[in-house]
Amino acid sequence: MHTDSISISLDLINRHHQEPNRNRYESRYFWEELYTLIATAGFTGIEIPYEPVWQFGGRSGVPMNRYCVNTKYGDAAGYRALLQTRGIARVTGITFDPNLFMRNDNLGFFFGATGHFAGEALAHAADLGADYFAISPSAYYGRIAQYHPDLDSQIEMFTQRTLDLLGNLASKAAELGVTLVLRNDYWGLFGGEKILPLLDALPDTVKLDLDTAHLHVAGIDAAGFARAHIGRIGCVHLTDTDFVDTAQIWKTPNPEFPANRATQVFRDPGTGSVDLTGIAALLDQLNYHGPVTCSARQTRDPFRALLRSRALLNQFQK
Amino acid sequence: MPNIRYANMSHWKSIPYKQIENFRDFYYEDKTNGAYYSDWDNILKYQSALGFDGIEIAPWDMADILPLFGSPEAFTEFAKARGVEVIGMFHGAHASHAADHYDEAVRSGREAVDTIVRFGGSYMNTCPTQNYFGTGPLSREEVQQCAKVMNEIGAYATDHGVKIGLHNEFFCAINLPNHRELIEITDPRYVHYCIDTAQISIMGEDLLTFYDDYHDRISTFHLKDTASSNQPDSVRYAQDPEITDDGTRWFWEPGKGELDLQGLYHLLKKHAFKGWMSIEYDGSPDLLASMAMTRYYLDNTLRPIYD
Repeated sequence: MHTDSISISLDLINRHHQEPNRNRYESRYFWEELYTLIATAGFTGIEIPYEPVWQFGGRSGVPMNRYCVNTKYGDAAGYRALLQTRGIARVTGITFDPNLFMRNDNLGFFFGATGHFAGEALAHAADLGADYFAISPSAYYGRIAQYHPDLDSQIEMFTQRTLDLLGNLASKAAELGVTLVLRNDYWGLFGGEKILPLLDALPDTVKLDLDTAHLHVAGIDAAGFARAHIGRIGCVHLTDTDFVDTAQIWKTPNPEFPANRATQVFRDPGTGSVDLTGIAALLDQLNYHGPVTCSARQTRDPFRALLRSRALLNQFQK
Repeated sequence: MPNIRYANMSHWKSIPYKQIENFRDFYYEDKTNGAYYSDWDNILKYQSALGFDGIEIAPWDMADILPLFGSPEAFTEFAKARGVEVIGMFHGAHASHAADHYDEAVRSGREAVDTIVRFGGSYMNTCPTQNYFGTGPLSREEVQQCAKVMNEIGAYATDHGVKIGLHNEFFCAINLPNHRELIEITDPRYVHYCIDTAQISIMGEDLLTFYDDYHDRISTFHLKDTASSNQPDSVRYAQDPEITDDGTRWFWEPGKGELDLQGLYHLLKKHAFKGWMSIEYDGSPDLLASMAMTRYYLDNTLRPIYD
């Protein structure tokens, strides 16, 4: 595997949860230094989690949406130029999840806001020259169930409305030349292999995101999943974990933080139980040449995570 | 019972756990201090141990607190068991200056009051409208419209045992030219004022003069320091000025800035202020350290003047 083409996701910065020194994550200077540190760790490509929330609190120093980028850099081209000066050659992907909009029992609001902001994020991905736009097709199951206690009897309706939303995005993605990729997060309505019927119902241009930790948590062998669906994989996330969900944590309102026993679900790449070196070798065997991104989501120390990720990649066969 | 009771304005970002039972194991996973900032059980105990008996929550906390606790009442009970009561919630009265937004602004304000009542709180500190950038300058009619909304929400709040307090940010569309005008044209029976000591000083008010002038309207305080009083229009009216690009801080812990907080406490004594004072630590890199630093300053510098 050509490790120099593997990107790192900016989700290694813990933007949303409390920790000492978190305040600096909201200022522009932090990110502009971070890009240099990312490049120094050997990554020249980044993935950006698209987060509309930064638009609403005047916190445009966090470069996670179009409003913030336009406020600080004028436009996407200005941001790309800044990245270049810091050693980042490209934005390979944009991710999007709709949890922000699951905040009441109004499904019109949820699907309307999700569709609007996902469309904006997709256009932003095109402006940034990204290869893929990876969307989580549902909010947390447990978050939905909190506002829709009859969720289990409404799955068909949710699925149809989700398909309508994704169908529109698929057309737009094709026009823009960005690959629309579906994430099968373990906590969603379409986790694990439940993503497959959704994929089947969409145009062939829509692909799968192979996220190793999400599969591991759901109890699915990532290597087997890769072999079975290699022709449909549009991007790979090299993520690590020690966690397997044996207590239906995926159905809880805060599934990334198991309520029954605190644990860091996502471990820094190379420090968990997923055989990432084996997955990389398998992807080579299967002639996968699409985008690959490392993610150190939930890391306790982003700078350590950058080097841990590089240490892992250095073990991959060249 | 002291005249002043102390609370913290909650600036904790998402706290993912209610209570961590396996604290040692969680710590050992990566041997960092993440475990120390991950559950409400400990956060509230830190507050309680440092003598902050109240917490003022924020609307942006709701998306995390409600799934975690199930209801406002459950959070309140959990906090009370650790010696902390919910005193109220901040509210942003978005677009209250816009006549065509009147119904929505009032509805949103009433809903926020209802939420506070469920938490057992009694204060709703309210930013009267959004940022100046993209909105200001407001016309006289727009300021009057803003007052109309505040009066309506204030009347509803009063009926439900909640005091709304105007809370001005230094970058709000209500700003130095119309700050006092808005206060004057709101109904003092229903609309009070929360002095954010740093925000109004950055905006250009003299803290001591302002308190002296409006002491009978003051429901509560957001106490914090600043070293950046009297900022020019070009800063206050800029786009997204609250978080600076270079990390410059507007706000500091009481005693770490340049405000005459001792002078304020002499005035509190003169006017016999009784009530809650929320300390704010926005911009702090370490909320727990800020809380301890503030407690020392309160006990050794401010409370000896007036308690």
